[in-house]
Amino acid sequence: MGKRNNTPQKKRMSKAAFRENCYGLAFVAPPFIGFLVFMAFPIVFAFVASLTTWNGMNNMLEHFVGFNNYIKLFTDAKFWKVLGHTVTYMIGIPIGMFLGVFIAMGMNRKIKGIRILRTMYYVPVISSLVAVAILWAFVFNYDNGLFNVIIKAITGQKGPNWLGNPFWVKVSMIIFMTWKGLGTSIILYLSGLQSIPRDYYEAAKIDGASGWTLFKNITWPLVSPVTFYLLITGMIGGFQVFVEVLVMLPKGGLNYSAATVVFYLYDKFAANKYGYASAMAFLLAIFIFIITFINFKGQDKWVKTID
Amino acid sequence: MKKKVLATLLVAAMALGSLTACGNTSNETANTGAESTATETKTDAPAESKGGETVSIYVFGNDQEQAMYKDLFSRFEAANNCKVEAQFSIKDDYGTTITGMMTAKNLPDVFYMGPENVKAYVENGYVLDMKPVLESAGLDTSDILGGTLGAYEYKGGQYGLPHDSSVFAYAYNKDLFDAAGLAYPDPNKPYTYDEFVEVCKALTKDTDGDGEVDQWGCAFWPNLMIQPWLYSNGTSFLKDEYKTINVTDPAFVEAMDKMVALTTQYGVTPTVEQEQGTGVYQRWIDGTIGFYACGTWDIAAFMDPEVVGFGWDLCAYPTLSTGETYAWCGTVGYCVSANTKNADLATKLAYYMSASDEAMKLESGIEGGASVLIPNLVSMANEEFAQAITDGTLKYPDNYKVLFNYLNNQNGYKSRFNDETFTPNAEWLNLFFEGIDRVRSGQLSSAEYCNEVAAQMQELLDEAYENE
Repeated sequence: MGKRNNTPQKKRMSKAAFRENCYGLAFVAPPFIGFLVFMAFPIVFAFVASLTTWNGMNNMLEHFVGFNNYIKLFTDAKFWKVLGHTVTYMIGIPIGMFLGVFIAMGMNRKIKGIRILRTMYYVPVISSLVAVAILWAFVFNYDNGLFNVIIKAITGQKGPNWLGNPFWVKVSMIIFMTWKGLGTSIILYLSGLQSIPRDYYEAAKIDGASGWTLFKNITWPLVSPVTFYLLITGMIGGFQVFVEVLVMLPKGGLNYSAATVVFYLYDKFAANKYGYASAMAFLLAIFIFIITFINFKGQDKWVKTID
Repeated sequence: MKKKVLATLLVAAMALGSLTACGNTSNETANTGAESTATETKTDAPAESKGGETVSIYVFGNDQEQAMYKDLFSRFEAANNCKVEAQFSIKDDYGTTITGMMTAKNLPDVFYMGPENVKAYVENGYVLDMKPVLESAGLDTSDILGGTLGAYEYKGGQYGLPHDSSVFAYAYNKDLFDAAGLAYPDPNKPYTYDEFVEVCKALTKDTDGDGEVDQWGCAFWPNLMIQPWLYSNGTSFLKDEYKTINVTDPAFVEAMDKMVALTTQYGVTPTVEQEQGTGVYQRWIDGTIGFYACGTWDIAAFMDPEVVGFGWDLCAYPTLSTGETYAWCGTVGYCVSANTKNADLATKLAYYMSASDEAMKLESGIEGGASVLIPNLVSMANEEFAQAITDGTLKYPDNYKVLFNYLNNQNGYKSRFNDETFTPNAEWLNLFFEGIDRVRSGQLSSAEYCNEVAAQMQELLDEAYENE
């Protein structure tokens, strides 16, 4: 047998198959081009910008500074300060989860008007973030806000300066963010609860399990995929908190006490420090990636599925 | 076959759709940038050419200003047989959009530039020296307010012409003075600090007897209101040609101390906590503040009885060690893109908007009665504009000459641009104001605070110059 016979012969594509491939590629092309133009290019552009001191007016490549912006970020006390605030706000994630699962359990029963109740809890999720942030700024108002009016009516004392005090401003933001995200947690937990087979509970009850044991050993483990999803999305969203601060405290609060990483990043953009701001955006993306990666790696230890 | 044709058309349409989204015709790019950030941004290009050449302009303004600009552009088109392609936005979105236009190398022929941008725009080659065209076309700038015009000069060139000259003057609530039985402030004799404190004390009251003060002598928004105190004390934020932070200067600390003492020592302003509840501007509008700042841009609103329901007038800021009353002034101007294809027409349009009788009369309200600025032309401001106020055509407070005095640095009044006007950015200044409420709430002394932030401010300032 000659060499020719050992070499796999390249199949000649039929005209019809070629045409079909072309159609396929043509259909794939728009989103692919869209990805290149609107995702890949900006990412690469932002990365290149992060290696420069570009201010939007000067020549970007002539202001190449290597990784100086990244090095500077690590020594930028303000960056770590705002990162601390951002992480602090994430206290609202577990609070929201626990509230969400308990309210969902309450709603997971046939009671009159349950659909209206479910809708009401979901309203904050579909409401404009800017609009509700403005409303909450009124609620937190030191002089005439709802909270302080109630506190004064009950105690006779003026309530805390919710948005004007470095400690209370964080409490305020956590309350607001928890309220805003509660609807999503409830809906997801509700669907999780409804997917748990009833016979699990019945079998446990026959064995004499208490309500707490049912929750601890059946409900909570079996809604853990929802908890995991909420944790991941909550943390990704938490690192990107911006609008809430901008609307309620446009200057970042007293001594920048309410500012988040993205708010600081925005400030740098506003000061035409596009290079530094891009570096911050990249570092933030890396943080989010690492946290998400760790979460995914750790999920096997606590996330249970019905199967 | 039909299916194939349909599929091909569909794919072509999708591909085209995704590609045209980043299309780059000159107007489209500009509009996308603006419209995506501002609901009020709109393009106002005439549907058909009015013949001759085309000149594009991008400016910001409220609805009232935009209506005036459109009127003026129409008059300019008629007089010059050309087409003006105008694009508008609101002020807050302007900076981002114009930087985007620069990055895309797609600037309009004429656009706004603040004095703080002159150096950067010129050094980076974005704006044209208008002087040669102004001279060759015989466009006279000698009647334009000198200080304001000078803000657009750089290395012997004239890179902009002012749209307006504004000043942040001082105002007082006449009704509170009447109720307290006090004589109105004399615009020809500014208060000394001690006199000011005494008047403020007399105006500060608990009017409803609930044990809490609800009327104050004065109020501050430090970011915009600390400057008159500093300038009158012979100091400022920067020294050495705007290269060195000066906040540890004893005169600076003293001026800051005096301003802060009005809150912490004399209690004649709302406290920081009270400000968090209801802002000082709102308190002034509500009629519970004796003295408050009043920019030239505030006049129209303050003259509207539905906005300010009490009698008020202008006065001078109190004086500190120099004995001179100071206010800060500001301006924005028209500049011409360095890449314009029609420098003559673009410069003419900038001049027309800045210094023509037609534009100044309409925008100042001499014609039409709606005033959005004080005329840039000194002779017009002193004569026709003043006359219109005197005969009641224009609604201005009685002491309107306070504005002229500050703007023209006359009769003992002084005004100057703030330091950030001359630095590449204001980040160093923003840092100062971030924690100033710690001083105003008594947590730190002025000296402690200034010492704490000086080095960081200097670092940011140095960085701003390095990255210029």
